[in-house]
Amino acid sequence: MTQLHVEEHAATALPEAGWGPLAGLPGHPMMWVLIASELAVFGALIVAFGIAGALEPDLFAAGRARLDPLLGGINTLVLVTSGFLAAMAVAAADAGRGRTARLHVAGAILLGGLFVVVKLVEYQAKFAAGIGIETDSFFTLYFLVTGFHLLHVVLGMVILAAITVTDADLRTGTTFWHMVDLVWVVLYPLVYLAG
Amino acid sequence: MRPSPVRTWLILVVLTLATMAVGLPATAAPWLAGLVVLALALAKGRLIVLDFLELRHAPPLWRGLVTAWLWGVTGLAFLAGLVPLLLAA
Repeated sequence: MTQLHVEEHAATALPEAGWGPLAGLPGHPMMWVLIASELAVFGALIVAFGIAGALEPDLFAAGRARLDPLLGGINTLVLVTSGFLAAMAVAAADAGRGRTARLHVAGAILLGGLFVVVKLVEYQAKFAAGIGIETDSFFTLYFLVTGFHLLHVVLGMVILAAITVTDADLRTGTTFWHMVDLVWVVLYPLVYLAG
Repeated sequence: MRPSPVRTWLILVVLTLATMAVGLPATAAPWLAGLVVLALALAKGRLIVLDFLELRHAPPLWRGLVTAWLWGVTGLAFLAGLVPLLLAA
């Protein structure tokens, strides 16, 4: 039986002293390379969405009016709660409570699954209303940005599951998960509410 | 000392509910609602960065980079919402 574990945290040790500027970060340093590149890509998408919205404000206002901000809000609650369970898992693993950590990771993955279900319900409602990726530039960007994020939610669930199964460093997986959470708390107001 | 995840989560839930309360109803001042919901997103993102991503005690360079990303994207989103109003004025 494998035991979930966490590397000594940055606050108390520099576990990868040979990693230069990446030393001292929670989780594996290479995960931070991935996170930095993901934040750059999501940043570019957010900039594109913002500029497109500034160029076509009426179109974007009409597009937002056809979204369901309640589902977006519910999914925000789901994802921050999932992130909370991931943080609780790390705290449990730090305290040597492997089984508790494993249960919390499972809960985080399940809530990730709920996020996916809510998002698919939302997409289905759009398709049923005759709205697709080619409807207009707002919906092209809506499906592109939220779909790209959705893929990251699924990838994050796979990473969390893989780490639980393979006994890799738990923080490496939860760090990716929190990045996915961070991007969503910005996307929610930008896509569904702002402007 | 690491903040309790429970405390961070409760604040995130309250800020999200506040976002939904401000953002859901139609408002006479959409730019103000936009400012409030993006400020709430900034506050939520900062909590995730510092407490969940555990960058509070990480090297200042990384804390600064991720925090700058957060300020950058929320700031730009607000400015993008403001441009049409300025052009119309």
